[in-house]
Amino acid sequence: MLSKTLKKLFTLIKQPFLKPGLGIREATIFIMLSRVADSLYWMSRYMERTDGILRMLKINYASSQDDVQAFSWKPVLKIFTFLEEGPANALAHDTRGVLQYMVIGKDNPNSVLNMVTHARENGRSVQDHITKEMWQCLNDFYHTVRQEELANWLQKDDPITILDMLIKHGVLYFGTTDITMARGEGNSFINMGKYLERAVQSADILDVKFSDVNYDMDVTTDTTYWKYLLLSISGYELYLKTYRGVFEAINVVGQVVLNDQFPRSVLYSINRLHRYFERLKSERNVADFYQIDFMIGKIKTKVKYSTPDSIIEEGLHEFLTETKNELFAIGKTLSKNYFGYT
Amino acid sequence: MHTSELLQSYLVDANTWDEMYSVASVREQYKKAIVFMQQLSVDELNKKEELAKRLFMSQGITFTVYSSGEGIEKIFPFDIIPRIITGAEWDFIEKGIKQRLKALNLFLKDIYNSQFIIKDGVMPADMIYSCPHYLREMHNFPVPYDIYIHISGIDLIRNNDGSFYVLEDNLRTPSGVSYMLENREITKRIFPDLLPQNNVRSVTEYPTILHRNLVSLSPRQNKNPTIVLLTPGIYNSAYFEHTTLARLMGVELVEGSDLVVDNHKVYMKTTSGLQQVDVIYRRVDDDFLDPLVFDANSRLGVAGIMSAYRKGNVAIVNAVGNGVADDKAIYTFVPAMIRYYLNEEPILKNVPTYQLGKDEEREHVFKNITEMVIKKTNESGGYGMLMGSAATEEEITKYKAEVLLDPRQFIAQPIISLSSAPCYMDGKLQPRRIDLRPYALCGPGGIEIVPGGLTRVALKEGSLIVNSSQGGGSKDTWVLAH
Repeated sequence: MLSKTLKKLFTLIKQPFLKPGLGIREATIFIMLSRVADSLYWMSRYMERTDGILRMLKINYASSQDDVQAFSWKPVLKIFTFLEEGPANALAHDTRGVLQYMVIGKDNPNSVLNMVTHARENGRSVQDHITKEMWQCLNDFYHTVRQEELANWLQKDDPITILDMLIKHGVLYFGTTDITMARGEGNSFINMGKYLERAVQSADILDVKFSDVNYDMDVTTDTTYWKYLLLSISGYELYLKTYRGVFEAINVVGQVVLNDQFPRSVLYSINRLHRYFERLKSERNVADFYQIDFMIGKIKTKVKYSTPDSIIEEGLHEFLTETKNELFAIGKTLSKNYFGYT
Repeated sequence: MHTSELLQSYLVDANTWDEMYSVASVREQYKKAIVFMQQLSVDELNKKEELAKRLFMSQGITFTVYSSGEGIEKIFPFDIIPRIITGAEWDFIEKGIKQRLKALNLFLKDIYNSQFIIKDGVMPADMIYSCPHYLREMHNFPVPYDIYIHISGIDLIRNNDGSFYVLEDNLRTPSGVSYMLENREITKRIFPDLLPQNNVRSVTEYPTILHRNLVSLSPRQNKNPTIVLLTPGIYNSAYFEHTTLARLMGVELVEGSDLVVDNHKVYMKTTSGLQQVDVIYRRVDDDFLDPLVFDANSRLGVAGIMSAYRKGNVAIVNAVGNGVADDKAIYTFVPAMIRYYLNEEPILKNVPTYQLGKDEEREHVFKNITEMVIKKTNESGGYGMLMGSAATEEEITKYKAEVLLDPRQFIAQPIISLSSAPCYMDGKLQPRRIDLRPYALCGPGGIEIVPGGLTRVALKEGSLIVNSSQGGGSKDTWVLAH
């Protein structure tokens, strides 16, 4: 005979509706449409890219005021636009022209205007899966970048004020997402989009900045060069604390690729990507899950067990290119295994 | 400046019923609200109008107009002064709509099954078979609980004596209910405390009732049936409404490409495989619902969905083929249907309607064309119509020729002067013509009508056309408790 307490315990265990830890009844299994997952993922990627571009524009603008003669927008145009050599050269020393093109350029697919429009269109089609507050952030941002006065302001007013205003719109979206979005599958796809985009962006920025100096690790004469690179990805203060203000190219590589406390480092972003991906694990799609889990795990390990020296030995450009290619492959497989709805 | 002169230039047309004014005094139901408005300055009222616009814009309560390849966001114009309906008026409307819907639903069941109404000579067979919305695919198919019209919007207008007329029945996929809900939310923001002070009945129950009805239709009697709202997509002008309803009910918003039919069952494609769908509230027209059965070019629907429907594996809301009951030519017969099916006298009146397919009626209409409005039977949204009083000689001649090509496709009605209600314009109240569309929900438990509706308003002075595509706007609609 089982004792009474034991019996009670058994009935408790047998209750299928109790979710451990929460004690709430599981009313519905949340199932997500593939199309919705796809839209959330891309909404998030576009917003992350928008934020990256705005910050980068702000710092590069500041830098252009330091050294008007030599400053060139060429690296920026190379990373973030699809301009050919000729038009890029023509624009390289025209600060206001670059701002117009990068912020409100209708024919620039990566302009803030176009990206916010894409983010909003994606958000619009999944309004019932994001919170109303998030939708309002996207919507307000969209109406802000579309107002006609913006062109005028970018031409005549202080660009920092305008870029700050736009950055704040993005920050509001990120904060609102963080405090209102339910921690379900949708949130995972949003974060995966965000961190995959960020990893690619940080790798891109580093690659183009170093290509500018022909990957010469000994260029330390011009410290403002590295200062502005770090500022544009909000890593300047951390660098000062870590390396006590000595500007060396190899340290910059260390921080931007490997510092797992730096929220824009490649490693940090991949760690996060993996963490949010792991939450998608379920009994329903085992094979699809493990295929991508393997891919993320592989690149994560590769980055994690690299050192600044080993990266330089391998060749910074080669290392970054391989990392980016792996990330793109992950994106493609995600879209095949999780977003395939056509 | 104080707005005691708010009412000064309010001139009611002599031959029109005004919702606010009777002879020279404000009607009881408007008194509190008008006194409240009079305490506000023009500046304050303008600010409130501005706030309302901003709220609509930032919440994305907009529709998109596409011109030169670029989408422009427009808000559906909103007038801040509510339209007020008394408890007694509402009781009458409610009773009338319920009666009408009961008859219309019986008509659909009859016409797709035994067709007694034709056999008994109440309605000529050619009326039915010449209607493009009559669908053979629905023949002898027992829809769940015999309900065809789950969701409807009945357009009402008021003649110069204040009596209500039904202008149009919308029994397919009536839109606008989100504006009933959102307009109320905006009023709460711009006029704090005004709603409880006036004892205005709440409309928030709408999504709850609709959701409960949808759940009850599920063919699989499990606890949590999968319910979806099928939208044509983000380019549809009512897309905002689709997302709002999906969100308020907590159901999945899907597009045709999210669904697939396998072995006569409908599934949606999710990140973890296929999930069976039980109930579809579709906002896609019949024509586009199933490329295998209707328009083969449709990309908005789902191939095979009709077979799943006919097998009883999925419930579709509203039923397919309802168009035959809200066709403008069939409209003429609704009073006869009420008498035939219910043995009752119609509570709500029909606007006298002439069939241009009949020679003598056409002659009568052509003779008195300046007092008539002519409409196409299968068009909506105020398209394809002729206002005899406003048309030029040339327009009339052209329209007549078009009518003669296929007279069955046209009906005519004497121009009814819609009632007017106060609108806030340029710092003053001015009368503008309005109509009313209450939304009725029908489930296995019967018909329920949320106390309220969409009041559409013709914002142009003197205009009688309230359709949003023709410069119309809307108002919050208050039904007062007794």
